[in-house]
Amino acid sequence: MLFNSLIFITVFLPIVLLGWYGLQQLKSPMPAKLFLVGMSLWFYGYYNPWYLLILVGSTIVNFIISKLFEKCKKDNRRKVILFLGIFFNVGLLFYFKYYNFFLDNCNFFFHSDFHVEKIALPLGISFFTFQQLSFVIDRYKKDAPDYGFWDYACFVTYFPQLIAGPIVLHSEFIPQLQERKHRKPDWNMFYDGIALFILGLAKKVLLADILAIVVNAEYNNIAYLDLPAAWITIIFYMLELYFDFSGYCDMARGIGKMFGFQLPENFDSPLMATSVKDFWRRWHITLSRFLTTYIYIPLGGNRKGLAIKCRNLFIVFLISGFWHGANWTYVVWGILHGAAMIFEAVFPKLRFPKEWMNRLATGIYVTFTFSIFRSESLAQAWLLIKKLFAGGFTSFTVGLSNTLQIPETYVIRKMLELKFPQWQNVFYMFCLFLLLGISLYFIQGKKAESWIEKNGCKTRGILMMAFLFVWAFISLSQVSTFLYFDF
Amino acid sequence: MEKIKALKKLVICILIFLIIVGGFVCVMDPFYVYHAPLGGQETVLYDRDYQMPGTIRNFKYDTVILGSSVAENFDSEYVDEYYNANTIKIIRASGSVADLLYYMNAAHDENKIKQVFWCLDIFALTSSTQTTFQNNEELNYLHTKSPLDDITYLYNKDILMEEIPLSLAYSVMDINTGGQAYNWAADKDFSAAGAMRAYSKPQTVASEADYSNELQLLNENLALVVNEIKEHPDTEYIIMFPPYSMMWWDCGYVNGIGDLYLEVLEETLSVLCTLDNAKVYFFQDERDIVCNLDNYMDMIHYSPDINQYMLECVVKEERRVTSDNVEEVLGNMKDTYQYIINEGIYIYYPKEE
Repeated sequence: MLFNSLIFITVFLPIVLLGWYGLQQLKSPMPAKLFLVGMSLWFYGYYNPWYLLILVGSTIVNFIISKLFEKCKKDNRRKVILFLGIFFNVGLLFYFKYYNFFLDNCNFFFHSDFHVEKIALPLGISFFTFQQLSFVIDRYKKDAPDYGFWDYACFVTYFPQLIAGPIVLHSEFIPQLQERKHRKPDWNMFYDGIALFILGLAKKVLLADILAIVVNAEYNNIAYLDLPAAWITIIFYMLELYFDFSGYCDMARGIGKMFGFQLPENFDSPLMATSVKDFWRRWHITLSRFLTTYIYIPLGGNRKGLAIKCRNLFIVFLISGFWHGANWTYVVWGILHGAAMIFEAVFPKLRFPKEWMNRLATGIYVTFTFSIFRSESLAQAWLLIKKLFAGGFTSFTVGLSNTLQIPETYVIRKMLELKFPQWQNVFYMFCLFLLLGISLYFIQGKKAESWIEKNGCKTRGILMMAFLFVWAFISLSQVSTFLYFDF
Repeated sequence: MEKIKALKKLVICILIFLIIVGGFVCVMDPFYVYHAPLGGQETVLYDRDYQMPGTIRNFKYDTVILGSSVAENFDSEYVDEYYNANTIKIIRASGSVADLLYYMNAAHDENKIKQVFWCLDIFALTSSTQTTFQNNEELNYLHTKSPLDDITYLYNKDILMEEIPLSLAYSVMDINTGGQAYNWAADKDFSAAGAMRAYSKPQTVASEADYSNELQLLNENLALVVNEIKEHPDTEYIIMFPPYSMMWWDCGYVNGIGDLYLEVLEETLSVLCTLDNAKVYFFQDERDIVCNLDNYMDMIHYSPDINQYMLECVVKEERRVTSDNVEEVLGNMKDTYQYIINEGIYIYYPKEE
């Protein structure tokens, strides 16, 4: 199920909130937990119930592994169990996400002829696998207590963060679940949650989805792009990805607050970063945290000299690239980010004199790397790169702006078509740059939560949120999925 | 406390906005899901798939013009005037018998139908006997009477910002109003040059195809048509076989299915003209029309003048097929077909030596 769907907003969310708080009134917390797990499974299996087998199976196996740690006190045995846990989770991810990619590459490089049916990628498998992997490692390190099964099942399946993060740690979620301090709604938190959900919904539906119209059309026509159109396309994609993922995370955190849970932040104005290192402190923060805690630091982090640090950075970003998808475009994207991190580590003082210059340079570099990330293949990415630097100047940018045919501009477009056809292209260009301007304004504006804190209770703020909600709500008739569902 | 108050205000504001939007869509109702045009509103019919279920359910009518896109340009006001009727058009692009009868069932449920002007397509008689509505899930809410699934209609940016303004603009500009409902002829190029762009005559002729499957479908579709007519003895069915251009016939010939078309006609005409409450009119063998490509914009779509001519023939009872003349009509059709593939088509297309 999608957050940005009518069924979720009008049916699922009200039912699950009423059920959750209703069952919280009982003496035992168990019915509420069972209800939450059940509803989360409905949410997850809404489009394909077969995926539930993978989620439920993975949850049970990881829980059994965590129990084995409780029984075994000897270090050697604990290591074996840890190995089994990592092998199971990585194996599951490998099978569903990388097996086809692996065989395709074997066939390509070794001229072999392995053939398997295309394995469908279950939604959010990278997220719930990493979440459980962190739990298994923490159990090995004795950093995680012995939770009950239903607490653990709630943690893994909790629907707001199940499909596209944030990657929540057990220590952030299960203690909140066990506290039961929210047997009645905390209305302050509830209001903040609704407000955050509305702003996230608006980011996704009113910005990301509109930017996507241009991006999708142009990525299908890369061969025809000229230089400015190519740059507009990649800038729009960067903005789309940001508003899409950040909108999802705001919605997830907002729903979390409605239930009385505080989920970790995933974004902190990433496109205002002044270096690639700074970018990764602000973008998909919970993924960076996972990679740092469970890969970078165990590899030695920055404690063993510059060379080892550079190696570790490279490995972490290579894994990050693979984590995002089974395609060489993601790998190259990861390598480019790793290379930039190494460059910044080796030459920490090589900076522009002004902060805005560093911000601009980081923005351009990150946007450029994400254009490869979005490409369907390295060949397409290469074609796009050629357009970015040697695309020439045709009138294609006008054609690009013509793709921006949204209902909001319908009346004006039709009037121009009938009365002033010569002004149509001017209007399309105006819309294109207006959208760009609005998007750029919001990436440097306040974080959603700060805005809510300042304006959420003012009449103007309330009216604006009500207006945004209804505008987004009437835009849901054509529902789009979230980009990070694919990762 | 401040946030509890804010929460209440937010919920109230959202509800007010939702009521305003939903109420506005409900009153304007461009797809006529809830009501026929209210006093002062003009009926504007421009989108057959979206507007058809609502008009069938909520309009008052006693006469139906039924068919595919070739029936859309009939002037329903002409029918109203001559027969003192209240006519709506029931159109499905494919002209599929199953789809049209799905609509007709709904029409019979809602109104007593006096007459049906059925523009029966030859190709529709060999199409699937399953309705295609289940393929268009997004249209479900239009087809049900339940208000529970109407949220997609009431709260829909496309309806609010495109369909309602478009409907109002058409109303002011007198487009697709009155007898011109669903009329698509404006700005279309009806000329031999335009029509010929739709058909590149192949140089080779395919051997005759195996069309046993199509004949099976013909029997099933014909049974559906006959059943519809017999089940409604008080309704008069005026069945018209529209005149496709000779390009369509030639295309059938070069693809090895020309004889199938003739067989479909033979079978259908001889059955339909025996039914008491059906009158059959045949235009397919009118050489002046089918062999003059200036009447067409592509292989089958003819100009509104031809639609008008067909209605006038019906009024005058010309070109009617009865049990007495069916053999003669079929003979004429076979001659016309031979003329088309041997001579007629080469008026426009070069003949390969």
